[in-house]
Amino acid sequence: MTQFLQLLAGGVSLGAVYALLALGFVVVFKASDVVNFGHPALLMIGAYTIARLGLSQVAFPLAVLGGVLLAALTGLVVQRFLVAPIASTSVVTVSIMTIGVDILAQTEITRRIGVDILSIADPWGDRVVRLGAVDVPQARVAGLVSSVVLIGLFLAWFKLSRWGVAMRAVADDAPTAALMGVPRKVISALAWTLAGGLAAVAGVFITAFPTPGLQPATASVALAAFPAAIIGGLDSIGGAIVGGLVVGLAESLAEGYEERLSFLGQGFHSVMPYAVMVLVLLVRPTGLFGTRELHRV
Amino acid sequence: MSKVDVAVPVTTVPVSPRRTRSLALPAVATAVVVLAAVPFYLDRFWLTLGLFAFAAAVAAIGLGLLLGQAGQLSLGHAFFVAVGAYGYTYLAGTSRTVGVSHQGGLGLPPLIALVLAVLLAGLAGLLFSPVAARLRGIYLGIASLALVFAGQHILANAPLVTGGYNGRTVPPLTIGGFGFDDGAPGTQLLVLGVPFHREERLWYLGLAVTALAYLYHRNLVRGRPGIALRAVRDSELMAGMMGVPVTRYKGYAFLVSSMYAGLGGVLLALAFGRIVPVTFDYAMSIEFLVMVVLGGLGSAAGAIVGAFFVASLPRLLDRYADVLPGLAEPGGDGVSPAVAARFGYAIALILLLLIEPGGAAGLGRRVANRFRRNR
Amino acid sequence: MSALEVDGITVRFAGVTALDGVSFTVAPRAIHAVIGPNGAGKSTLFNVLSGAYRPARGSVRFRDVDLTHRAPYEITALGVARTFQNIALSGAATVEENLVLGRHHLTRAGFTGTALRLPHVRREERRHRARVREIADFLGLTEVLHAPAGRLPYGDQKRVEVARALCVEPELLLLDEPAAGMNAHESALMAHLIRDIRDALGIPILLVEHDMGLVMGIADRITVLDFGVRIADGTPDEVRRDPAVQRAYLGTEGES
Repeated sequence: MTQFLQLLAGGVSLGAVYALLALGFVVVFKASDVVNFGHPALLMIGAYTIARLGLSQVAFPLAVLGGVLLAALTGLVVQRFLVAPIASTSVVTVSIMTIGVDILAQTEITRRIGVDILSIADPWGDRVVRLGAVDVPQARVAGLVSSVVLIGLFLAWFKLSRWGVAMRAVADDAPTAALMGVPRKVISALAWTLAGGLAAVAGVFITAFPTPGLQPATASVALAAFPAAIIGGLDSIGGAIVGGLVVGLAESLAEGYEERLSFLGQGFHSVMPYAVMVLVLLVRPTGLFGTRELHRV
Repeated sequence: MSKVDVAVPVTTVPVSPRRTRSLALPAVATAVVVLAAVPFYLDRFWLTLGLFAFAAAVAAIGLGLLLGQAGQLSLGHAFFVAVGAYGYTYLAGTSRTVGVSHQGGLGLPPLIALVLAVLLAGLAGLLFSPVAARLRGIYLGIASLALVFAGQHILANAPLVTGGYNGRTVPPLTIGGFGFDDGAPGTQLLVLGVPFHREERLWYLGLAVTALAYLYHRNLVRGRPGIALRAVRDSELMAGMMGVPVTRYKGYAFLVSSMYAGLGGVLLALAFGRIVPVTFDYAMSIEFLVMVVLGGLGSAAGAIVGAFFVASLPRLLDRYADVLPGLAEPGGDGVSPAVAARFGYAIALILLLLIEPGGAAGLGRRVANRFRRNR
Repeated sequence: MSALEVDGITVRFAGVTALDGVSFTVAPRAIHAVIGPNGAGKSTLFNVLSGAYRPARGSVRFRDVDLTHRAPYEITALGVARTFQNIALSGAATVEENLVLGRHHLTRAGFTGTALRLPHVRREERRHRARVREIADFLGLTEVLHAPAGRLPYGDQKRVEVARALCVEPELLLLDEPAAGMNAHESALMAHLIRDIRDALGIPILLVEHDMGLVMGIADRITVLDFGVRIADGTPDEVRRDPAVQRAYLGTEGES
């Protein structure tokens, strides 16, 4: 039972971080109709900047701010100069463009990291918090709290502010959004900026304890945002959050009970997000909360 | 035709000869002749380069069929390439123990192993088609990620098939007693005075398979299935209302594409001579996608050109590292050839999509049009 | 006796009722028009008939075959062909290729046979391309057969749509606003064409149309929808005199 609770706590905190990633991914899809395969690159750029600033003795909060700003700026630049000029072509074409961006950014970061494992120099270290009978790493608690706060802020903004309302309108009905006086271009730029910032924050918690630190393989952990977004439904904000939690929990439980799942092979937990995704897609091809595409002819 | 037939008096209309598309066929024939002459003039480095390029080209044509014709994006292509490569190696290989690792094998005749490996890749594609056939283009792109990760997991957990992390030797192909290897010790095959080693022999295999793969694709896309697939790509709803069973056709496209990947995988295994599981990862899937997009969606010739470019670039940069500025010798400072190659094709991809979304084939068409207008 | 029976069709989207118990029948060889103001549910009706939407209630029967729960391609195979209001052609493909698509359910060539160019595949292709050229000729499209469909003027694209539907060898033709966006002259030509098709093929034609002149001139029978409800059904004269129709439709647009 203790083990189960432990895994549950770990899964929820990991899931909250995945939710943060999936959220940015979904917001970009809703606002600009692009599946951003460069999303893991945004995370890597953010996390790498934070780790580098940390190594140069910059205080952690400032380092995080720097990483968030750079990742957000990267998102904006990619949207403005690479995605916007070809936005009128097909979804697939623009999405493939983001793969080019991903290769470029990740190759460079991988080259810079080399064989090192960079510490993110976070203040939590390897300390744990004792909640009842369960030990949870402080970094994970911080990740959970940060994610909940950021997601909460985002949802409030999305529901209440003029921009948030316009962003919702763009996804549902572009002409109405245009009537509200918010150009689609601006909404799209905003979404990409936001996605970059959120990815950088997620990067902090994906590289903090209990993982060893930032390394090229971190990017493949960040890829789990894709199944999270698909499980929830590519165009559903709420779905991204649920999808993130599902993926985090599934991964954590599979890892914790690895011995009992030995028939599935060693290291199955890293495949778990994808296995869940395929199962969900078999039942619902548009994800749990995705809208069934209504055909227009 | 037994249906209503009275709109206009039915007369037998003389069938005009099918218009061949521009100069494609002569150009292809010329390319084949030139490529067939290569083993007589170039050394082993270039032949090896070609073997990998042919293998990549065959798999890329398959992905081109899926993406360019049916509009379905797959990032799982490397998985089917792995099925082909390991399928062939396991089926043709023999059971034996190397060091501490025990490797299984069925010891089938290599040609039969080749055919079965391609069918095995098709079967794998069929197993995934409940997902692949029901999803729309971009959704499939993400869902197919599951294949590469599942593939890596399976390969890591099947040392009996893969020989573990250190890899496993690929048995040479023999067809009717002719071996695509260096031949028996002490013997030598001389053709027009040029000794034919493994590389020379495999070169012709690669060329022949690529040419057949090209022809198969070309006929397919010009006929009824191609027209139906492109209708599905342009609008699923319209295609359905014009009589195309959309789900079934998306499934077919995925099936054929995975068999192409399997065939490419067999060639790749033969080119490597020894295969390791990490080769068939996400990055490989991405490389296939880059080949297809650089070459130009919907064009098999384009896919071949893209494959030659992407497969050759790192090896070329490696070979000329000492004369190219900014490139590092292995272990030295600076940008390694592998990294430079990745930069190269990523930038090529981005620029091409910004300037000419039709890819290399689109650029070629544009040049040809200008040429024609000037005449 | 009727060719098509639409019986009590109800369609709801997220709580909005787009069609509410709509019924009517189309007689064999009839040109039957469905009219109504924007949002009346005409396009929804077409999408139910061609299998894109499943109605919540009601049924569609064509020659005593239930179409209600069939996939679009099965409905096409039964001889129901349609055109689209917002042209749905493959723009990059030639007119010929667009028309050949209409032959899909009449042809059999599979993946392997086509790739190997087996004799029966080539024979089939030759035969059907000849028929496609006849139909193109009937619609005056011979000249543009090898042009990319997307490059043609709007009116020609509309005719390509009709030609493609004829390539299905339909036994029921559904035309979704065939004259939309056309000038008076083009619209008159389209009216002629529709009548010629009916006379030549002897099949029923169901059309949705805004152009009142066209509808009143050629329709044998008219069904009027308003807010998803059928408000009238009868001959053009009966419909013209119907007070409910005048209020809902003609009153707002003026009699044409």
